[in-house]
Formats: sequence, structure tokens, C-alpha cells
Amino acid sequence: MQLVCLGLNHRTAPVEVRERFAVGTPKLGEAAVEIAELAGVGEGLVVSTCNRTEFYLAAEEGMGTIGLLEQQLAQVTQLDERVADHFYRKVGADAAVHLCRVVSGLDSMVLGETEIFGQVKQAYQAAHAAGSTGNVLNRVFQRAFAIGKKVRTDTAIQEGSTSIGNIAVELAEKIFGHLKDSEVMVLGAGEMSRLTAKALVSRGARSIFVANRSYDRAVELAEEMGGKAVRFDDWHTVLTRVDVVISSTGAPHAIVQREQVEKVRRARKYRPLFFIDIAVPRDIDAGVGEIEEVYLYDIDTLEQLADEARAKRQLQIAHCERIIESELLKTQLPGM
Amino acid sequence: MERGMERWLLIAATLLAAVGGVWGMLSVHRGTRSHWTVAWMGGVFLCQFGFLVMRGEQRGACPLRETGEILAYLSWALTLFYLLVGPTYRISLLGVFTAPVVLVFQAAALMPGMLSENPARVAGTDPWGETHAATSVLAYGALALAAVAGVMFLVLDRQLKEQHLKSGLFRNLPPVRELLVSLERLLWLGGVLLTLGIFAGFMMPRSASAAGHFVAATGVWLGYAVLLGVKRWRGLTGRRLSLGAVALFVISLGVFAFI
Repeated sequence: MQLVCLGLNHRTAPVEVRERFAVGTPKLGEAAVEIAELAGVGEGLVVSTCNRTEFYLAAEEGMGTIGLLEQQLAQVTQLDERVADHFYRKVGADAAVHLCRVVSGLDSMVLGETEIFGQVKQAYQAAHAAGSTGNVLNRVFQRAFAIGKKVRTDTAIQEGSTSIGNIAVELAEKIFGHLKDSEVMVLGAGEMSRLTAKALVSRGARSIFVANRSYDRAVELAEEMGGKAVRFDDWHTVLTRVDVVISSTGAPHAIVQREQVEKVRRARKYRPLFFIDIAVPRDIDAGVGEIEEVYLYDIDTLEQLADEARAKRQLQIAHCERIIESELLKTQLPGM
Repeated sequence: MERGMERWLLIAATLLAAVGGVWGMLSVHRGTRSHWTVAWMGGVFLCQFGFLVMRGEQRGACPLRETGEILAYLSWALTLFYLLVGPTYRISLLGVFTAPVVLVFQAAALMPGMLSENPARVAGTDPWGETHAATSVLAYGALALAAVAGVMFLVLDRQLKEQHLKSGLFRNLPPVRELLVSLERLLWLGGVLLTLGIFAGFMMPRSASAAGHFVAATGVWLGYAVLLGVKRWRGLTGRRLSLGAVALFVISLGVFAFI
């Protein structure tokens, strides 16, 4: 039996092709059984995320089976033969290396992202529960998970945040520690502020206030996040109690002026205040950042931090690949 | 027990503090957390404790009769409060900042002339006098640690303000709010102990030459009372609270060095 991988991902196929091959999480087991039932195939497993769909098989004849699977997929998806150009095909050790790269986040759109590890594990569990895995896939996947963990622990591949939302959360935690005692105000209910506020809520922020020019939109976003809507003209009244302010209003001039913040300092007892300005043009007057207890970060700084983290992760790729190579050599896996 | 043994214990405590400090700083430089700092400081504490016990036996009283002893006791108090506060609040880096202060105090205590070879036995100790000396120096241990936390806050505040977020030190420093909470609690603890010390000082029999000492102690107490009062009732930025804690500690140390 040989280990075989046939797949397409964000680099090889556009979204309109990827979506044709996507398999919903509840159907992963069923799909795995279907491919395991192809002629000459003993075991099957399907990994499907928004950026990739991959079919792992243990088959008698590597390349021959891939051709068979491609025909089957072309029929199911009703795509013409040109779809084959979007596939990558890996056999034996190459397939195992590829799987380890995927599990370690080296093949992801956001290098080193952690979600893929859980998604592959979920796919494996679904196939295992459906009875479509055997000696080859069980051993290869379990080894890949162990290697993926080692890569993530021994290197800086997942160090630093690469998204604005996560950077904002990290900075908020550096200032306030656990966010369960922190309150957040969102100025402007745009997508960026929604994502950033969501990231803060997911890390335990106690309450959210949303102020938006359109009050209805503020109510909508507040409801989505279990927070409270505030009339835009009243946002400064909430400033006395919040710890974090995320601003992204699309206004052509600064919304938050230094004098407004100065006015509430006494009532706040000079507690630290963190402003995240993700608007262009900026919503928060630069003078606000000169107030002693205020920490002000704008979109450029946050982007720069994200770029630095991405660059740092890039430098880790070679190190990660060396670990994968040496770890795979340590054990004699079936299907190679 | 052999005479002079206590000096070796103090030397050992000083070396352990030096190793702990350097070890911690190297960890910080590498961007990793120094899990051994607490262990090193635990060793420092045991050696200091041994020194104080032996010195106390030789004196037959609290070993706070000469500058070297006061500095060693102050270092012990500082280490004690670090061990109580640091691990509890998961602020291991506090040890990295504490170790150099302990090192400086103990190195000063070991300078020639600071610790007598044969400490004279104290005849007729007064309980108020002993309480005054012990609680006052203990208070300075807490206040010294508050100053250390203040320095840590000032470093972190500057890095956050200037957006220098890449250093290992930044990654290892505890959050702003945790530092400020620890700093304020240490100030309150030091303040309460200092109050007890001054009260005991007023109760003990004292000579006319001690007047300057008590005026200075009351002045220092007032300084801390104002700082804590303003923080409690009016509010104070982290920067001013930290600067206040550091300045008051340095001033009080300077005042007592000359009185």
C-alpha cells in the first residue's frame, strides 16, 4: 500500500474551483468512506477547509489510483478536464512531508496559523470513526500530529500575531492582563472594528459599548456581541468607564480630541486607557497619545507589527522543514 | 558555631543573587521566561536567614546594630516580599529586577568596616526598641520592592508609549495593571509596617540625639501617606505613582544614610 495525496489549495485553485470540492464537516466521514471504496484503495481520508481540499489514500498503485480519483471527482463536480491543472499529486514520502507541512501551518495562507491543526485532526477523527482509516493512514496521521506539535513548540512559526485583531488583543492583555475586568467601546460599527471587538470579547472582555452614526447599526452590532448600543453623540459619557476604545468611523476628521479625554481623566482616576485607531483618516487626535495614562495605536503601527510577525515566521520555514525531515526519518512509516 | 561563618552565608547570598540576576537577564535577553529566578531567590533568602539567625544569636538581640546588619536585614525583607508577591502574582521578572538591588545592598554590607568581626552582645534589650528596628526595616523591604515594581512599570510604560514591542524584556514584563496593583499593595504593606515601627519608636526610651532620626522617619512616613492618600482618593497615573515610589525610597535611603 502506498500513501497518496491529491489536493488543491488557495495557491493552486481560485475560490470558484475550491468551493466545488469543499466537503462540509458533517460529511467528512462519508466522503472518506466513498474514496476508500474506490478500486485498489484500502483507506481514505478527506481534509476540507476554506483554503484547501485534500484526499489522502492508502492505495495499491499510487499514481494509477490518483488518475481514477481525478476521474471520479470530475464526474461529481461536473468540471471539465482542465480542473486537473489545479491539483497537486503526492505519493509516498512526498505525501507524508506534505501532510506534516499542512499540520504545521507551513502550507497555510497565514503562515503558522493554528486552526489547521485542529481541522486536520477533526478530518482524521471523522474518517477514523467512519472506519475508512487503517494501518497506513492511522500511523501516518498520528506521526504527523506529533511532528506538527514539535514544529510549533520548537520553533517560532506561530509566534507573534499576524492580524490586526489579534495584535490589538495582545496589546490590551499587556496593559490590562486578563480582559475579564475590562470594558470596551467601539466607535463606528465597520467590519474592522467588529472583528477587533470580537477578538477582545473572545478573550473575555467584560462588556462592549457600540456607538455608531446609524443607531440601528450600533444596536445590531451590540446585539451580535452581547453589548450595549450608545448614541453617537453620547460616546464620551461612556469614556469614564471603559478601558479600551476601538475606533473606525470613516469620518473625514478626528472624532476623539485630546480635550475630551482630558475632561474624563479625573473621573477615571487616571486609570490606563488603550485607544486602537483603525480608521483612515485617523479618528483619534495624535495629542490623545501624549496623555500619560493613554496608549494610542493607529492602523500603521498595527500593520507594521503584523508585517514583522509575518517576516519572523518566514524566517522559520527552513528550520521547520529540517525538523519535519529529521522526524520522519526517525520512524519507518507504512505507505512510503 | 564558628565565628565568621555568618559572613560566608552573606557572601553566598550575594553570589546567589548575582547568579540569579545574570541568569534572569540572559533569559530575558533570549526572550524566554526565567523559571529559575524564584529558586535562586529562595536560596538567597535561606542564606540571608542563616546570616541573621547567627548574627542575632551573637548579639542576643535583633541584629540591627550597625549599617551592615541593617543592609542585610533590608535585603532579607526585600527578598521575603519578592517571594511572597512574585510567584503569587506570576511576576517572575520581579526577581530579575530585585536581584541587583539585593546584590548592591549586600555588597555594601560586606564592605570593610560595615560588619564587625566580633559583634558585641547587647545588654538589656527593650521590646519597643526591638519592634521599632525590626518593623521599620521590614517596612523598607516592602517599600524597596514597591520601588522595584515602579521601575518595572516605568520601563514597560515607556516601551508601550514608544511602541518598542520587540524586546525580550517587553514580552516578559507583567501587564501594566498587575504591576500597578502589586505596587500599590506593597506601598500599603510598607506603610502599615512603617506606622508600627514609628509608633514603637515613640514608645521606646530614646536619647536626645535620636530626635533627628524620628523627624526623618516621620517625614518619610508623611511622604508615603500623601502618595497613598492621593492615589486612593484622587487617583494618580501609573507613571506618577511609580516615580513617587522610587523617589521616596531613594530619598529615605539617602536620609537615613546621613542620620
